[in-house]
Amino acid sequence: MRRRLLVAAAAGVVLALPPLLSSGHLAVFTLLGLAATVTVGLSLLMGYAGQVSLGQASFYAIGAYTAGLLSTHGVPTLAALAVAPVVAALFATVVGVSLLRLRGHHLAFATLATQLILLSLLARGEWAGGAIGLQGIPRLSIGGYELVDDIGYAYLAWAVLGLTVVVTANVMASRPGRGLRALATSEVAAAASGVPVGRYRLAVFALSAAFAGLAGGVYAFYLGYLAPGSFPILLSIEYVVMAVVGGLGTVWGAVAGATTVILLVQLLTTIGTQPGMPSYAPSVLSYAVYAIVLVLVVLFLPRGIVPSAHSHLSLKKER
Amino acid sequence: MSQLLEYLLTGAGIGAGFALVGSGLVVIYRVTHVVNFAQGAFAVIAALLTSTLLASGLPHGAAELVAVAAAAATGLLVGIVAIGKPGTSPRAALIVTLGLGVFAYAVEVLIWGDQPRSFPGLAGSVTVAGARVPTHYLLVIGVTLPVFALLAVFFARTDLGKALSACADNRYAARVVGINVTRMGLLSFGLGGALGGLAGVLVTPVQQVTFDSDVTLIVNGFAAAVLGGLTRPAVTLAGGLGLGVAQTVIAGYGGGAYQLELALGLMLAVMVIQAARTPAAQQEAMPG
Repeated sequence: MRRRLLVAAAAGVVLALPPLLSSGHLAVFTLLGLAATVTVGLSLLMGYAGQVSLGQASFYAIGAYTAGLLSTHGVPTLAALAVAPVVAALFATVVGVSLLRLRGHHLAFATLATQLILLSLLARGEWAGGAIGLQGIPRLSIGGYELVDDIGYAYLAWAVLGLTVVVTANVMASRPGRGLRALATSEVAAAASGVPVGRYRLAVFALSAAFAGLAGGVYAFYLGYLAPGSFPILLSIEYVVMAVVGGLGTVWGAVAGATTVILLVQLLTTIGTQPGMPSYAPSVLSYAVYAIVLVLVVLFLPRGIVPSAHSHLSLKKER
Repeated sequence: MSQLLEYLLTGAGIGAGFALVGSGLVVIYRVTHVVNFAQGAFAVIAALLTSTLLASGLPHGAAELVAVAAAAATGLLVGIVAIGKPGTSPRAALIVTLGLGVFAYAVEVLIWGDQPRSFPGLAGSVTVAGARVPTHYLLVIGVTLPVFALLAVFFARTDLGKALSACADNRYAARVVGINVTRMGLLSFGLGGALGGLAGVLVTPVQQVTFDSDVTLIVNGFAAAVLGGLTRPAVTLAGGLGLGVAQTVIAGYGGGAYQLELALGLMLAVMVIQAARTPAAQQEAMPG
């Protein structure tokens, strides 16, 4: 019951907030919704399938380019947005069949390599606008109503996040979800108990890619312009930071992690762009904050913010 | 024919750089089972520092030595954060080194800015059996081969090297005979830092560095090292040289643009084949 109230309160805040924000803050709010969507998928992947992906931004890029390319070639924008997660998931499935044989640091490097290859191909592909990028992506229109204002995209981004959260919660509560949780503790034991380990790992990989692809699709229509430079390796690392900080394998942890990291970076960017600060200050500060937050959380709060806070609170109640 | 020889020698020069980065990964992984994502940063820091020292009038040789020493110190610092806290698992340490790699970005941009830098190496070129090869590539090969020989002697013949190898073989047994495993781990991070720094100062004259060059460096180094399961320096050297030669030959005979894809595709193929040969239970038992 309390949980439902909390969720309702969170939804209320999200609905009420956008009209009150300045345009700069609205952009942060929109990008936060998108980043949290990707992080929910990555947290699922890292927490339950136990896999570090350093290439999650590649699925974001695939979703964005799918939506962008289809809509610039005359496909209705809503259909293009719907296809984006499908293409990302298909790509993950094809790549995952061989890559998911790998474990730990091997998979980390393999996903990193996949993203480097993708970026290199995108930068060279004339069909994708090359290194200059893909321009002239139309605005998204839903049933004849064209989403023009930024505020519409803010709501859209958070609606996508809401959808992701609902899907994830339902998957985890289902029978495959229980299998996944068994998988997280010991793969061999799970396999011995009849969990189809390989298929489940692939399914989680594809699901996390679909989330990233959907977020990428929204991003394409929101910005109207895509370039390979928008999806650097550092972006993938940022998603890892958000997932680890919030707490792996928890939906709310992913949202909290993304919020914490983005707000911190935003705060420091505001400080860094004050008059009198050197021009490199914002980037130096944001690199430093990603790094310090990540290292501190891994060493001192290894389960992440949300699970740690949760067990702290429930301990207090018992006393 | 001399054309091919030219590609082979240039490729070996480039590959020697990959092998050096890879050897740093191997030295650290053997002893600590941590894959050090900050390995590329050691090379970048040493390279940037060398460019500053040279510009301030320090002669060649001295500048490079100072930079390699600084990289070793950086390695030690990374080691202290990554494995200094008791109970840090190799997987956690991997994420920590990832974070430290990003932290290095902050330091590098703060000190050196975000523009690419380089410094002159050995000028001119040498004609070997009709093939013209820039002298600097020969220097890279000429430094790398003795370094790998020294590494082999160090691990096989000296007490300290044997202690490091003991940690690699069996941490528990090493502790039983009185070896301080954590101290050995830190030592390996320092050594790994020096090797990474050496790679940086050698490669920079033929390849500019920016603060985020570490990604390409570490991916190529990892590709070289993964062939030997991240534990065998000799295989790493062979892997690095092979990778460099393959890239140069393919670039030379037309596929120029696709050398990165080739290297990465090769690495993926090697890893997938290796994984297919190892049963899942054994992989789960392996840390990291």
